[in-house]
Amino acid sequence: MFFKNYRAVIFVGAVILAAVFLFSYGLKYDAGQSLLQRLALGAAAPVQKLLTLCVESVDNAWTRYIRLVGLEEENRKLKGAIGELQMQLTLYRQGYLEARRLQTLLSLEEREPYRFVAARIIGKEQGALAKTLWIDKGEAHGLKPGMPVMALPGLIGRLTNVSRHSAKVQLLIDEGSNVDVLVERTRQQGMLRGAGSRGCVVRYISKIQDVREGDVILTSGLSNVFPKGLLVGKVVHTDRSDAGMFLNIRVSPFADFTSLEEVLVLAGERKTPSGERKAAK
Amino acid sequence: MMYYVLLPFMAVVLVVLQSKLAEILFSGLLTLEMSLIVVIYAGFRLDLWKGAALSLVVGLAMDCLSGTVLGLFSLLYVCIFLFAWFVSSQIDSERLYLIAGFSLICAMVESLALVLIYQFVFEFDMVGKILPVLVPQTLLVSVLSVCFFYAMRRVERVLKYG
Repeated sequence: MFFKNYRAVIFVGAVILAAVFLFSYGLKYDAGQSLLQRLALGAAAPVQKLLTLCVESVDNAWTRYIRLVGLEEENRKLKGAIGELQMQLTLYRQGYLEARRLQTLLSLEEREPYRFVAARIIGKEQGALAKTLWIDKGEAHGLKPGMPVMALPGLIGRLTNVSRHSAKVQLLIDEGSNVDVLVERTRQQGMLRGAGSRGCVVRYISKIQDVREGDVILTSGLSNVFPKGLLVGKVVHTDRSDAGMFLNIRVSPFADFTSLEEVLVLAGERKTPSGERKAAK
Repeated sequence: MMYYVLLPFMAVVLVVLQSKLAEILFSGLLTLEMSLIVVIYAGFRLDLWKGAALSLVVGLAMDCLSGTVLGLFSLLYVCIFLFAWFVSSQIDSERLYLIAGFSLICAMVESLALVLIYQFVFEFDMVGKILPVLVPQTLLVSVLSVCFFYAMRRVERVLKYG
């Protein structure tokens, strides 16, 4: 009866006594390796390992995420650098190609006994009515209407309109272009006229003359507009079936007008060091 | 019966978990005393037998795993449990600010007891740790006890009403 009435008090007292006993025991005999501690450590070890594993997994995932964020940033920077380098490469390539073209023009200038003015093409008109170029040199550079314009390997046209700092070039293929020419092999003379997209045609060579495909056409120098001997083009087709007196000769100019970027304007004969003019070919 | 069988394992898990969390959150500078909050909760919600057993076992787990003298936390937790058990009839545990205040007092008493025991029994001066360690720990227990009681109230409602 007594125990039943004071059960709670007895229990509380027993618990407190147990705790005090444990503390006293711990104070007196604490060796750090009691059976209780070993059991507790044994039970805690798997839990600790599991928690550590979880924490490490989360930590690794986080670190990986951070690294990925860094990689993304690095990737963005590298892509930017690649773009910049590609742009530079394109510029250098353009410069290289320009240098090659200018070198080619220079070789022409060195080879021919004329004074050339190099010009850059700043516009092209390839319409049905006119086939012209627009260059960035004009009267200020000594250019005048009628001057022959060349690009490797030969003649491409002549200046028509010249302003202070620019000029128009009438191409050989322009329908209004007429150039006195001769066939290199047979020395037969004729008139080269532009034929638009078909190239050029040579007129006024008699049907009895021997003109073949592949023959080279040069300037004849008769009209005093173009110096004699400039390369013009190559015969690609001859036709004698017409009822007229003359051969129908189709000529393909040597220069590729679609890819021209720089040209040389033949501004006159080159002066020798002694002051004499070199004779034209 | 199952309660008493599982209690030691759960106590070990609790102590390991709180030390791991403290390591992650505070780099081991502070202790996250979830065990103390559980003991206070037991004082308010469990009967004398179950609560006393829980506080004794959790205290033992703390003693064994925290490296202190065997019985130190057992004695402290048993005392705190009994204090909470006696006070629970006077305080409405639904009022969370009262719980916060009571937890703060319990944590302060525990800290003070630890300082005094270490000072006089082990002659180890812990006065210097009161401000940087024990005060934040005490406040942390107070704040966390509110969260714990609130969460447990929700759990109890779910278990009771589904």
